[in-house]
Amino acid sequence: MGSLFLQQVLNGLIIGSLYSLVAIGLTMIFGVMKIANFAQGDYCMVGAYVALFITAWFPGWMGWVGSLLAAAAVVGLLGIVTERLIFRPLLTRWTDIDIIMVSIGLFILLENLAQLLFGATPRMMPDPFGSSTVSIGPVSTSVLRIFCFAFSILTIAALQIFLNRSRMGVAIRATSQNRFAAQLMGIDINLVYLLTFALGTALAGIGGVLYGTLFAVYPLMGGMPTLKAFVVTILGGMGSIRGAIFGAFILGVAETLGGNYIAMEYKDAIGFSIIILVLLIRPTGLFGEKEGA
Amino acid sequence: MKKSRFSMLVLALVLCVSVCTYGTVFASDTIKIGILGPFTGSLAFNAGEMKKGMMLALDEVNAKGGLFGKKVELVFGDTECKPDKGLAAVKKLVTRDKVLVVGGGYCSSVNIATSEFCQFEECPVVVAIAISPTITNRGYDFVFRTSPNSPMFLEGINDWLAQVKKPKTVAFFMENSDYGRDGQKIWEAQCKKIGANVLARLYFEIGGTDFTSAISKLKNLNPDVVFNIASTTEAALIQKQAKELDYSTQWIGVGGQFTQAYFEMTGPISEYAMGSSLEPTKAMKDPVTAAFVNAFLKKYPGSRPGIFSSQGYDNLNVILEAVKGAGNPSGNLAKDRLKIQGVLAKTDMKLSQGKIKFGKDGQVYTVVPSVVQVQLDENCKPDTQIIFPTERAASEYQEPKPWSERKCK
Repeated sequence: MGSLFLQQVLNGLIIGSLYSLVAIGLTMIFGVMKIANFAQGDYCMVGAYVALFITAWFPGWMGWVGSLLAAAAVVGLLGIVTERLIFRPLLTRWTDIDIIMVSIGLFILLENLAQLLFGATPRMMPDPFGSSTVSIGPVSTSVLRIFCFAFSILTIAALQIFLNRSRMGVAIRATSQNRFAAQLMGIDINLVYLLTFALGTALAGIGGVLYGTLFAVYPLMGGMPTLKAFVVTILGGMGSIRGAIFGAFILGVAETLGGNYIAMEYKDAIGFSIIILVLLIRPTGLFGEKEGA
Repeated sequence: MKKSRFSMLVLALVLCVSVCTYGTVFASDTIKIGILGPFTGSLAFNAGEMKKGMMLALDEVNAKGGLFGKKVELVFGDTECKPDKGLAAVKKLVTRDKVLVVGGGYCSSVNIATSEFCQFEECPVVVAIAISPTITNRGYDFVFRTSPNSPMFLEGINDWLAQVKKPKTVAFFMENSDYGRDGQKIWEAQCKKIGANVLARLYFEIGGTDFTSAISKLKNLNPDVVFNIASTTEAALIQKQAKELDYSTQWIGVGGQFTQAYFEMTGPISEYAMGSSLEPTKAMKDPVTAAFVNAFLKKYPGSRPGIFSSQGYDNLNVILEAVKGAGNPSGNLAKDRLKIQGVLAKTDMKLSQGKIKFGKDGQVYTVVPSVVQVQLDENCKPDTQIIFPTERAASEYQEPKPWSERKCK
């Protein structure tokens, strides 16, 4: 019984690490630009397709690691293009509904475009570690899953260092806290917007490669990461990176344990139940702050 | 002012045309047949396989000059595998596009709803792939199905369980839909009969991707057999994740998951998985099936004609034969549909899946699936082999080995 519990916690932590990458991107973009980007999961899908093609040309783990970097670059670039062409012009209007509708439109557009270009057939990327598994005491998992977990943690750590130690990171945090004050301090907030969007989407791109390698690559694969990222972001507090990290792991573990001990078919409903409970007690989410800026 | 007068004029003209044409019977210059299926969404590629088979049948009929000198036209309605979308699609086909008959159909929950609507509208519907028994057991005389239903698909497995495997413990890990739950009822009744203990009943939602929680639970319970009714993507992901969690068991599904995409996704890890199948490539001795396979390969080089392509091909051929038998459409839709329904009930033809003859309930009982197991060749390439009943078997049942003992991983 204890071993099953440990196995489920491990499963939950691994899936939580994937949720966190996409959710951090979403929450960063929301925190800085106040954009609730419903197309976030579709940036994952683009990243997964980039990796699918790269790993087909360069099989093996080196090709796969290279595809993670390439996906971050390509999707980050796509993020820059969409930010400049689609979202930036709307930012001056300050009506949330425009931005939400445009992001939903972008999500439908990207999905349909992918279906047109690549077809609807799901494809699987080969396991770069040759499907090898590891058993630690009573629990077992694949080397790939451990690598995905470790890579997510490293990416999150690198992001934290960037946000806390670099000048641009501080500028992003300052804009997130109070964009007008940041502007008055001489921060180029347009550059901050661009960089935040690029970073947020690049994280989704990396998340997409991990999602695609663990699961499958297909045009509609972005729906689930988007949904989970929103659950995590609301749970942790909109705009809070710390909230997204903790929220993701809480959701991942709650889903696997809930699926095991309550009912498997309600696994996805568990996240929403937690949101309702958390919002009743803390309307700003676990780590969210009251709106002051 | 001028602008508003012009608008009024246009409006009056539109109204006039609408009133004049309302209720008028037009003889269409094409023979319109409605086809339902989840052409977008997570099952789009399965529906695409069905569509490929149908397009082959369509090409064949139109190459011969169509029917009654008119081209046959397929009007597709996308159900997205959602009952509400399916109802909207069938309503459009039946009432706006005025199709003579509705074919296609995938996803039981959708087809239960769409066939009910067709019955109400007295428009014949011939379901191609959905297998829930409910579709044809409601006493509806306008509803037909060219595919075996779930009891027929599962019957062979039931016999195999009683005669060969004789499991002591079983578990269910099913798609949370009519397709999954109907199948569970049938297998659970058989398990009771043979004295197998049910250790767990787990469900997952269509489109789900992470199954590690359920697989960990199954691994902990360790049943002799896990019944897993799932579509291609979910079934492939379950196999992959079972491997990641070092879990090996006898997986048994309905068989619809064994598509080209499934084998491309799973590779050798699908070894030992079982199901029932009507795969046409397994029945090449039959000249009609072989002709279909060859025609399919000619039209789609490099593709593997699977069960859905073959079911799509047969489904449209049954419909075309009925339209032909009912005679040149008079233009009175209700009468034409009634005639087609009458001819459909008397269908008796040999197609790629076997003999098609409907029972009084509209269900085909003459197409019989075999029990298949995924086995590997010397190059670790997976393919299904008929293992039961013994008289049709091309190979023997192989007991699943733990991952550490498998040659191909």
